[in-house]
Amino acid sequence: MSATLTFIRINLAKLLLLIGGISALLTWYFTTPEFGTVFNTFNTWNIDITLFTLFTGLIVICMRYFRGVREKTPGIWMFELYGLILIFAWIIMGTIYGMYSDTYQTIFLSTKITLHIAILGQLVFFMISGAYRTFRLKSLRTVAFALSAMVIIFMNIPFVQNGWAGANAFSYWLLNNPQTGGARAVVITGGIGAVVLGMRILLGLEKGPSRVTEA
Amino acid sequence: MQIPEIKSEYIWATLLILCYIIPGIFPLNTTFPDSATTTQIFNLIQNLPNNCTVVIGGSGVFAFDLESSAGTIPAIRQMAAKHIKILNVPLAVEAVQFEKYLIDAAKIETKYGGDYVYGRDWIQFPYLAGTPGSLVAFLNDIPGTCPTDVYGTPLSQLPLGKNLKDYKDIALWICPHWDFPTIVQYVTGERNITSVSFAQSAAYAQYGPYMTAYPGKVFMTNGFLGGAQYERLMGTNGLGHAVLDGEQIMGILFVVFVVLGNLTYFTRPKEVKKK
Repeated sequence: MSATLTFIRINLAKLLLLIGGISALLTWYFTTPEFGTVFNTFNTWNIDITLFTLFTGLIVICMRYFRGVREKTPGIWMFELYGLILIFAWIIMGTIYGMYSDTYQTIFLSTKITLHIAILGQLVFFMISGAYRTFRLKSLRTVAFALSAMVIIFMNIPFVQNGWAGANAFSYWLLNNPQTGGARAVVITGGIGAVVLGMRILLGLEKGPSRVTEA
Repeated sequence: MQIPEIKSEYIWATLLILCYIIPGIFPLNTTFPDSATTTQIFNLIQNLPNNCTVVIGGSGVFAFDLESSAGTIPAIRQMAAKHIKILNVPLAVEAVQFEKYLIDAAKIETKYGGDYVYGRDWIQFPYLAGTPGSLVAFLNDIPGTCPTDVYGTPLSQLPLGKNLKDYKDIALWICPHWDFPTIVQYVTGERNITSVSFAQSAAYAQYGPYMTAYPGKVFMTNGFLGGAQYERLMGTNGLGHAVLDGEQIMGILFVVFVVLGNLTYFTRPKEVKKK
């Protein structure tokens, strides 16, 4: 790749990020229709680009699966073939019946969603057999961890809440105070991190999202 | 006396029999207390003006979010009784199908004996990719961001769609999806629209701080229990009631197995523990 092209690729991405970020920032402080229109236009572009990336993703995954099937990648090619068949089956069904038709919905609910529910339903088995083996009071940390989980789960059992009127209040107190304190710390930390990351992107210091290979 | 380790297969079999098979054959009709927050949500919707517009939307969908559906379905029926207009705004790919499921399950349409007509009383928007940018665009300019519904019909040709302009037309935002913080931030925080999440219990535990940060503006129900509480307020039985028997036994078994696990651990010889 020529040096000029690399320069354009690196700086074009930065420029687009800068324009998009500043337009979002300005609408927060300047509520004129002009700023709002610019910001909304960028947001609409964002929708179009995200949809396009979905399409690109579909092509990339199909190419990968086609290659795997053609080369008979040991151990996985049959799953890739299965994936390919499903992808095209859903595209054809969606095109024929329409994504919002009752037929498409029934097929979607009877296959993908039912399987998803079954998979998620297994979590309780893993969770309890996992808790049986891991929630053992070996150290102060495991005592704190196990007791926190036990208290919340125990206090949330309707049988316990009915038997002791204070259980519900105690459970909500735990969730709304100690738990909220911890969760709020996580949220605020994440928010500060997002602000710092945003500023680094705007200043062109963050290489992650706009990384372009020199080669 | 040393208590032996229990094999996972036995734990699984116990759960299967006690949480699924027995309550399935002999329902326990688990009773449960009310929640002040769930009642507040019920009253909030009950006190909305007739014919106002409510959005059901968000992103993050797991297996049609049965926990969220437990509360959302009776809430849709409650809104239908007040002729509140509904806009379904999917911000995730599967949300389109999930929101259709919610409307179908609530049976508010004329084909199910209700009086809701598509286009007049409710609209399904297409998938809006690129959250949160797409959400902000939708709030600022509804017809500009979504000129058509999911079928491709221009909003101007739909009785409900032709008057939609921006977020000022929205009285309440209901989020039956996982990603409630995005809704709180852009819908409630920036535009002061009250938001309600019929949340999964894990989301309820995680996003609780938003309720305390926006008192009176952000509300959440607690998983299947919250759904069952809402069903009781509506005088119906549904997903919430159906699951509570199993959930109650699961809670008890969780505690029992953790205690058993610790008894096994503490009755082991010291050498085995060290190993």
